[in-house]
Amino acid sequence: MQKVEKLGKKATIQSYLMIAGTVIGLIVFVIIPLIWIMRWCLFSYKGYGAVRFVGLDNFVRVFARSDKFWLSVGNTFIFAFGKLLVEIPLALALAYILTRKLRGRNFFRSVFFMPSMFSVAVIGVIFTYLFNHEQGVVNAVIKAMGGEGVKWFASGTTAMIMLMIASIWQNFGINMLFFMTGMQSISPEIYEAASIDGASHRRQFVGITIPLLGPVMQMVLMNAILGSLKVTDLVLTLTNGKPSGKSEVMMTYIYKEFFGDGGSTAMNYGYGAALTIVTALILSVVTLIYLKVTKKSSDIY
Amino acid sequence: MTMRISLGSKIALYAFLVIMVFITLVPLIYTVSASFKTNYEIAAGGINLIPEEPTFDNYKTVWGMSGTTIDSRTTYADYTFNSLKVSLLTVLLVVTFTSMSAYCFQRGNFPGRKFLYWLFLCTMFIGAGTITIFPVLQITTKLKMNNQVGLAIVQFATAGASNLFLTMGYMKTITRDLDDAAKIDGCSFFATWWRIILPLSRPILATIALMSFQSSWNNYLLPNLMLAGDQTATTLVVAVVRLQSSGGAGASQYNLMMAGTMLAMLPMLILFLCMNRMFVEGITQGAVKG
Repeated sequence: MQKVEKLGKKATIQSYLMIAGTVIGLIVFVIIPLIWIMRWCLFSYKGYGAVRFVGLDNFVRVFARSDKFWLSVGNTFIFAFGKLLVEIPLALALAYILTRKLRGRNFFRSVFFMPSMFSVAVIGVIFTYLFNHEQGVVNAVIKAMGGEGVKWFASGTTAMIMLMIASIWQNFGINMLFFMTGMQSISPEIYEAASIDGASHRRQFVGITIPLLGPVMQMVLMNAILGSLKVTDLVLTLTNGKPSGKSEVMMTYIYKEFFGDGGSTAMNYGYGAALTIVTALILSVVTLIYLKVTKKSSDIY
Repeated sequence: MTMRISLGSKIALYAFLVIMVFITLVPLIYTVSASFKTNYEIAAGGINLIPEEPTFDNYKTVWGMSGTTIDSRTTYADYTFNSLKVSLLTVLLVVTFTSMSAYCFQRGNFPGRKFLYWLFLCTMFIGAGTITIFPVLQITTKLKMNNQVGLAIVQFATAGASNLFLTMGYMKTITRDLDDAAKIDGCSFFATWWRIILPLSRPILATIALMSFQSSWNNYLLPNLMLAGDQTATTLVVAVVRLQSSGGAGASQYNLMMAGTMLAMLPMLILFLCMNRMFVEGITQGAVKG
């Protein structure tokens, strides 16, 4: 922010009034909930009855006796890295192709970007149909090609693959768009110089595009990793953790811990709060490691 | 970029692009197709794209039916209207308050400005969202806010700081000479915003409005929880997800489910087709600058 000359008293009061709505919203619905989590993680309370102070017991439970939670953490990472391994290179390749002067460029860009317009929850509903064992199109295609229909919802592996496919399908376009923005800011003269020197397209892509994309790449990957680790709606509406928690992810596990999973409610504020904090820590550790690693690699260039 | 591409690789490129277009569109095309099929035809399976007997009945049925057995009067038509109401209210809140606070941060100079700005910056990275959804619900319950207006307020409050930064960035480009001129003409701090800055920042506010509308319309978890107590207030996306479990007699009614998803997606599709450029700009700016 630039230096601004001092405004009168009337302006100060007006400023406070104008900013009040946003600040109150931030305090009530962002900051207080965070404080709530930090407070409750030290207590045991089931929503009724007595509140007991249990110290760090909730955390002991998270680390020592929550196999299902750690299974969901594992799933989350498998999901995130599995899908990004396909999504990011795909987005990069498409962005590289579409930043050239190509007939129908805008059409392609719009089509690829379109799936990200729609509700994640609704996409989950669509994919339950597409992957349905008997009625789904995916199995129909497999059968038409002479294969055997896959029971997608019956095993953990296929359920996870399904989640990844749905997520890649929805998100590759938006990452492509980010990469395109980054690539458009690279001066075409650099490419021309490289072409004169006889560098192939592949060589130019690896030698010019990728390194110069550095900051954009760092931001896009960061968002993509964190976004995938926070996946919730898609899992809830597509597999809902089935079969037996094998496709459960961190967020849906916490969600069910708090809100119960269709009746079998063993809700505990304190345990839920501890899970939340551990999840937040996992996310921050990933962020820190990521920033450290990318800083090192950007130092190289 | 001007690069020479050989004919062979050009064909390969287009082949790749066309395959990707195909992959992108197939799920949507099959959704459209299923929404015009009878459930009998869907149950038979197969890759038949064109319905044998195309029917508009699925849409008619969904539009006029209720999402729950508890309340049979509220139909999907009402849910659509609910979504529209909540989304428009969210847009109104986001645009009004974001514009005002961006103006205060950008042009104001009041005690605590730096601290508040820092507060917004920090919370942007914490990214509340799903993590704090339970305490948020506790608060809304306590404040008796579990209704459509409350939902819009929470959606506005938890939208994140990127709207704010985007608007501030835009306001930075509006010359301060205008502020000074307004001041000389007797405009107060507030009046300067109302008469000068607000009208001039219309382009960025339009982008923010569009993005907020989209995220509110598409939101699932928060409306699902906040409006659980009032079946008449449910939004369309929540009701469409409910179609999954309402397959009477155990059989999934995919025809109705797909008609429902089309209903939920169509407004977004129309917005996208009309305002493609604005979406692209909003998304890339928000990410790159924020």
